[in-house]
Amino acid sequence: MDVHVDGKRIEVEPGTTALEAARAAGSYVPTLCFDDRLAPFGACRVCMVGVEGAPAPAASCTTPCTEDMHIDTTDETARRIAGATVELVMSELPAPPAEHTELAEVARFFDIDEPRWQGEQHERDLDERHPYLVMQHEMCISCGRCIRACDEIQGAFALTATGRGFEANITAGLDSGFANSTCVSCGACADTCPTDAITEHTLLEVAQSGVGEGEVA
Amino acid sequence: MSDRFEKTTSTTCGYCGVGCRLEAHRADGHVVSISPAMDGPANKGHTCLKGRFAHQFARSRDRLTAPLVRESGSFRLATWDEALARIADGLGGIKAGHGPDAIAGLASSRATNEDCYLMQRMMRAAIGTHNIDNCSRVCHSPTSFALRKSFGLSGATGSFDDIEAAEVALLIGVNPTQGHPVVGARIKQAALDGLKLITADPRRIELADYGEIHLANRPGTNAALANGLAHVLIRDGLVDEAFIESRTEGFDSVAELVGAYTPEAVEEITGVPAADVERAAHIFGEADRACILWGLGVTEHRYGSEVVRLLCNMALMTGNVGRPGAALLPLRGQNNVQGSSDMGALPDTFTDYRPVTDDEITSSFERRWGVEMKREIGMKIPEMFDAAVEGKLKAMYIFGEDVAQTDPNTEHVIEALESLEFLVCQDIFETETTKYADVILPASSFLEKTGTFTNAERRVQLVEAAADPPGSALTDFEILRRVSSALGHEMDYETPSDVMDEIAEMTPRYAGLSHERMGRHGQQWPVTADGADSPILYTESFELPGGKARFAPLPYTPPGDEADEEFPLILVTGRRLEHYNAGTMTRRTANLDLMPSDWLEIHPDDATSLGLTDDEVVKVRSRRGQIELPVKVTSRIEPGHVFTAFHFPEVRTNLLVGDSADVNTSCPEYKVVAVSVERTGAARPVGERVDAGREQVPA
Repeated sequence: MDVHVDGKRIEVEPGTTALEAARAAGSYVPTLCFDDRLAPFGACRVCMVGVEGAPAPAASCTTPCTEDMHIDTTDETARRIAGATVELVMSELPAPPAEHTELAEVARFFDIDEPRWQGEQHERDLDERHPYLVMQHEMCISCGRCIRACDEIQGAFALTATGRGFEANITAGLDSGFANSTCVSCGACADTCPTDAITEHTLLEVAQSGVGEGEVA
Repeated sequence: MSDRFEKTTSTTCGYCGVGCRLEAHRADGHVVSISPAMDGPANKGHTCLKGRFAHQFARSRDRLTAPLVRESGSFRLATWDEALARIADGLGGIKAGHGPDAIAGLASSRATNEDCYLMQRMMRAAIGTHNIDNCSRVCHSPTSFALRKSFGLSGATGSFDDIEAAEVALLIGVNPTQGHPVVGARIKQAALDGLKLITADPRRIELADYGEIHLANRPGTNAALANGLAHVLIRDGLVDEAFIESRTEGFDSVAELVGAYTPEAVEEITGVPAADVERAAHIFGEADRACILWGLGVTEHRYGSEVVRLLCNMALMTGNVGRPGAALLPLRGQNNVQGSSDMGALPDTFTDYRPVTDDEITSSFERRWGVEMKREIGMKIPEMFDAAVEGKLKAMYIFGEDVAQTDPNTEHVIEALESLEFLVCQDIFETETTKYADVILPASSFLEKTGTFTNAERRVQLVEAAADPPGSALTDFEILRRVSSALGHEMDYETPSDVMDEIAEMTPRYAGLSHERMGRHGQQWPVTADGADSPILYTESFELPGGKARFAPLPYTPPGDEADEEFPLILVTGRRLEHYNAGTMTRRTANLDLMPSDWLEIHPDDATSLGLTDDEVVKVRSRRGQIELPVKVTSRIEPGHVFTAFHFPEVRTNLLVGDSADVNTSCPEYKVVAVSVERTGAARPVGERVDAGREQVPA
């Protein structure tokens, strides 16, 4: 069927999402909770686009294309909602995300520097018990990518979402660390994490722009 | 994303035969992190804890960084010139005095195709012998043998993508979530998505929990199980008569043979309930698309090659070959098990399994290399050790293999190594084997070299250097060139890519292989001259005379070892997720923190009758030797059986394994060893770190 992205007409298979259509048309849509390897989740609201005739902007990763749909990736309302969401997420972090992370990349796209809101911030919470993997809980933005990578790529089912609201975070096993969970140390969680909330010991050492107070080993 | 790193190199994993494509990130001159390539055909953006994390071994302080030569009983550092002169003298003298067949070489299934090709050329052209073999002898040689007999070519009939395309997969003698983790993850995801699994293994493997049915047949009874399944398939009309008629030969003799393998008779032999044999056969036979996957639990048996042929029978009678979702997929153990044999590092064949006894083939290589070669086949690995002990074999050149650790009947292997007059080892570490060397050459790891590996789906993939070899260590390509030159035979290649060009030129089925063409996705052989490759084999015809596949009527015969009063339990050996083969690499990484030591798995019933609880150290005795290690009680193993891995040299599991081997290929029977288990009174928690050392005294 035919859809229109930013005025460009393209043909897509039924079942294609608005995000896939936008990418196929060569339009950039920022994402945070999205990973090609995982089923679309629609949690972060960063991939918002305008859809002609729709009452409000839609999350493009979970919106299926319909015949003759008109998608506007530069829709102002969509951009404003997405930018504000990223800014809110950033406002909870004790330090800006490392330069190479997807969150930093998305923040650059929305031109977010210092968040306007100065509410409560997470405190550094480092778990270094695993020989390779490190958790920096304060950087978790609850996008669910690690949990889904663990379930949908590896099938270890070792990670779980915990807490609500500001307390929302992730945990391995029954809060017992990777080693005492069903974790098989495949590292898919660290690989997909957009903030380095899960990363590797060696990468923390390499990181040029360390998080926290530069206390990383 | 790559700002953090000096350089990111796309390469292919050097661990198991899955062939994950990796991105190796370098900072400060060495590899600091590895991530999966998103477009890797086998791994699709995933990798396991070995491929991703276990790379510190390459920076280990134990790395060999200069040649070592033996002098009055110990090793001293030497220059390359000295080491090469010593090799030229040693091998040259033995060749002059005893003839070239007094020398034998081993290539490595961890090395690249180009390295293996150079190694076999050096043995054949510089030394003048066909005494060249590789470690696939001890793992998948039965697979290669059987696939060639049944279908024509030595490799998987399809690709890993066939797993997701299948309705049913039969997994026999393979534990992918431990041994081949990325394919294991793919199978698990496919099962969660509706793929029906039939698992057959003496242990209840993890994937059994995601399957339709698990068949816990006794070790060594795979043939009876396969014939029993065939019996039900034929009896209940679940066969594809059109396929049998048009594409195969010899079905009637199989139908006749399996008549006796009623589910009840099979239950008697295998211990699998008759009803389960019936149900498994129906799940398999009623599917439109079924795959069969197997591993060393099929091959490392006295009749391993015959069982592979029986699996081929099942695929043939149900028409499950040569279509998407209908593939036979042997899971290869090492990164280049497929390639080392494809390259002709075998005593009887040149590249693509073309026999040295074929005058035309041998002549073509004679012309290419400017030498004369024999038309008689050389020695296989076990024959080399026997000949060394008898005094007929005087020298060996062992490249990237630790035979004193990984081959069966360890005492015999060591006696063979001690009997040699001259031994050259080319490796990245000192090993159990290098203790007997006269010259040790410092080689390169997969992160430091260029070439190709061929994965378990026949996919030839690029390996590119992400770091430099340490010290004065060299790439294996460079070492083999220099050694060959010192032996008087120049191998004029500028780069490994030139070697691949020669392989393609000399081998019709690899005609289109080239480093340039394979790019990021590799090429699955056969590859025609225009570069077209073959994800699925036998879509139209089989590669045997007449184009038809061959059924094999082969009966069940008991394994080479059996439990008796003195040795009442059957030991099965295998792999664990955290470690890789002899552990040379993984035990030099933090994977050792994840799994610090080995244990013996035993069923609660056997543990109770022996009065054993977790962590108690036991003495495991076989007809060959004894080892000591702590036990873990688990109902994942059947009563009457025990299990351990072979990753820890201090445990020396292979001391227990005898001489029993596959009847066709001499692949050792690692999977059936009668043992006794006795209390020692000592205890050591499973998972406690044990310092390496040959004389292991439990705490």
